Amino acid sequence: MLNQLALTYLFAQNSGFQIVPIINQLISGVGIVGILLLTGLGLAITFGVMGIINLAHGEFIMLGAYVTVFMQELFDMDLLLTIPFAFLVTAVIGALIELTIIRRLHGRPLETLLATWGLSIVLRGVIKLLFTAQLKYVQSPSYLSGNLKLLTNEQGLPLISISHYRLFIIGIAIALFLITAYLLYGTSLGRKMRAVTQNRDMAKCLGINTSLVDMGTFAYGCGLAGIAGTVLSSLKSVSPPMGQDYLIDAWMVVVTGGVDKLIGTLAGAVLIGESNAIIAFLLSDPVARVIVLLAVIVIIRYRPEGLFTVQKRG
Amino acid sequence: MTQVLPGVQESAFPRKLALMAGIGFLIFAVFPLLFGEFQISFLGKLFLFGSLAIALDLVWGFTGILSFAQGVFFSLGGYAMGYYLKLNLTAGSSDYGGNLPEFMVSNGLEQLPWFIAPLQYFPIAMVAMVLVPAGFAYLIGWFIFTSRVSGVYITIISLAIASALNTFFVSQQAYTNGTNGLSDIAPLSFFGAKIPPIGLYWMCLVFTTAVLIGAWWLTKSNLGLILRSIKENEARVSFLGYNIASYKIFIWTLSAGIAGIAGGLFVALNQFISPVYMAVPFGTQVVIWVAIGGRGTLIGPLAAALILGQVQNYAEQITQDWQLIIGVLLLIVVLFIPNGLMSLVPKQFGQAKSPSKSNSSHSDAGYLQAQLVDWITPLQKLIKTTLTIVRNNRPRC
Repeated sequence: MLNQLALTYLFAQNSGFQIVPIINQLISGVGIVGILLLTGLGLAITFGVMGIINLAHGEFIMLGAYVTVFMQELFDMDLLLTIPFAFLVTAVIGALIELTIIRRLHGRPLETLLATWGLSIVLRGVIKLLFTAQLKYVQSPSYLSGNLKLLTNEQGLPLISISHYRLFIIGIAIALFLITAYLLYGTSLGRKMRAVTQNRDMAKCLGINTSLVDMGTFAYGCGLAGIAGTVLSSLKSVSPPMGQDYLIDAWMVVVTGGVDKLIGTLAGAVLIGESNAIIAFLLSDPVARVIVLLAVIVIIRYRPEGLFTVQKRG
Repeated sequence: MTQVLPGVQESAFPRKLALMAGIGFLIFAVFPLLFGEFQISFLGKLFLFGSLAIALDLVWGFTGILSFAQGVFFSLGGYAMGYYLKLNLTAGSSDYGGNLPEFMVSNGLEQLPWFIAPLQYFPIAMVAMVLVPAGFAYLIGWFIFTSRVSGVYITIISLAIASALNTFFVSQQAYTNGTNGLSDIAPLSFFGAKIPPIGLYWMCLVFTTAVLIGAWWLTKSNLGLILRSIKENEARVSFLGYNIASYKIFIWTLSAGIAGIAGGLFVALNQFISPVYMAVPFGTQVVIWVAIGGRGTLIGPLAAALILGQVQNYAEQITQDWQLIIGVLLLIVVLFIPNGLMSLVPKQFGQAKSPSKSNSSHSDAGYLQAQLVDWITPLQKLIKTTLTIVRNNRPRC
């Protein structure tokens, strides 16, 4: 009934301005927002909370995806069941990397940037050695296939629809976002994490094991990237350079949103995802990407602390 | 003022450096007599990569701005030259309706776009080869450096620029031929006479030597001193009354201009240009040459580009995992040899070394050893703790 009403309303003003494709585009934009939020979340921890310029973030996503490939090839495991394994494996690797590399470059952001870039090359090379450069494919669970039809026309063909898997991505992204927010702002562990970034020496004096907190925080951020890798692995093929596609987007999300509060990451993801979808509808996909990247450069230029950060008094 | 940093006082004529550079030039000058045409043009390309690395070193090693967008300026210069050669090939053979390149015809263009048409004339193409990348760099530099954006954000901006421009060039199929780039182009000729590969090699050699000497002169001058001071302590330099932004814009634009010329020569030599040279991986290559060779030394990046390029050429025939080796090398250099491999060269050849002597005490063998020990300690601790845990939990019988 409601459906019919909406239809007649939409088609009544059909002359000139088409609203259905725009809604469609907005909905597919929501799918992009889910991916952006998922990939940006890990970076919001490693960069936002710890201030580490992590250019190997994309490679942790790739590692998570390969954990899923490995588990599926060996045990024929369901995609959802591999999520904890992806989290654990990438978190452990992240902890080891924090211990051996990141910790040593503390307070030298440009060196950290360079080291993580080298690390990303190494991780790609190692995975290529282990799994070869061949494209791998992951089976997405059958109960997540299919589309959710929001609006159908008279013949029953879907006008506006979104695939269940996209909804699943958004769901996971929001769930992880809430868990992370709770961890950061609701637990004593999160308070310690924030304390260490705000004033390392003071935190140390108050008896916080700063090096352990550092390691834990970095490992958690990498683990989130691993989950992102698992969830995204069935969208496209899995290959060693896959992380590169997500790296720049994740960075843009975090930088746009600002690193002061976690909510900035959500806002950045929504802003970039939706504007990307709308510009892509009006012009074309590559042009949309170029315009969004240029817009992000302008944002960094005028507000390096991010759009959604409360201005602090100097 | 001259007492502040040792760099200025050494600006007396460095006989050792001149001698070494002269010997190096002579060695490379006799190469065409010894090796085949393919080897020579390959070496010429490496020289261009070397001058690209020197250009990045001016920006990064001396002024402290790390950029992954060096490949963008390189390719802009390359495309200027590429269009000139492409248009002159199609002008010669009029198979494709007038002088329209075939990819433009197949993408439905009727006539040459106004922004490409002037490039068919040699002087305009040569000017564009320098001015397009330099002008683009000037715009970016003016936009970024007049703000309070700090070092790391500039690096992220450079990543975004490289990514955006690469996407743009790939998407504009009709004007740039997309991912295929400009191939099948005319050889570079001089008043109707085709320049042989050896001639091009000579041009590359002379260009790189000029870049090296020019960069050396620049870094030894007062300007170079200010640039290094900006790297060390930006706030203090601005308190002294210098306009930091204009210095940064100048060196950034100059570096882009050098990169543009290198790109143009590269296209003449390589007969091919594509958006690959614009994308982040190629920009990374340049950063790696500078990092491994030694930031703040001019010989280091050049030598790294020459040697790594040669080694890569042979290694890629043997192993698929050359990139892995490069990545490990980069990690080792960043962690243990922050001034690059050039800082391990004994001090007798010191003139060619880092002009910023402040850190050079860091990088002798003793420092390296201390770094290694320092690095292994947390690992040892971890292993020890795990062992104790395992031992304590061992089932008792």
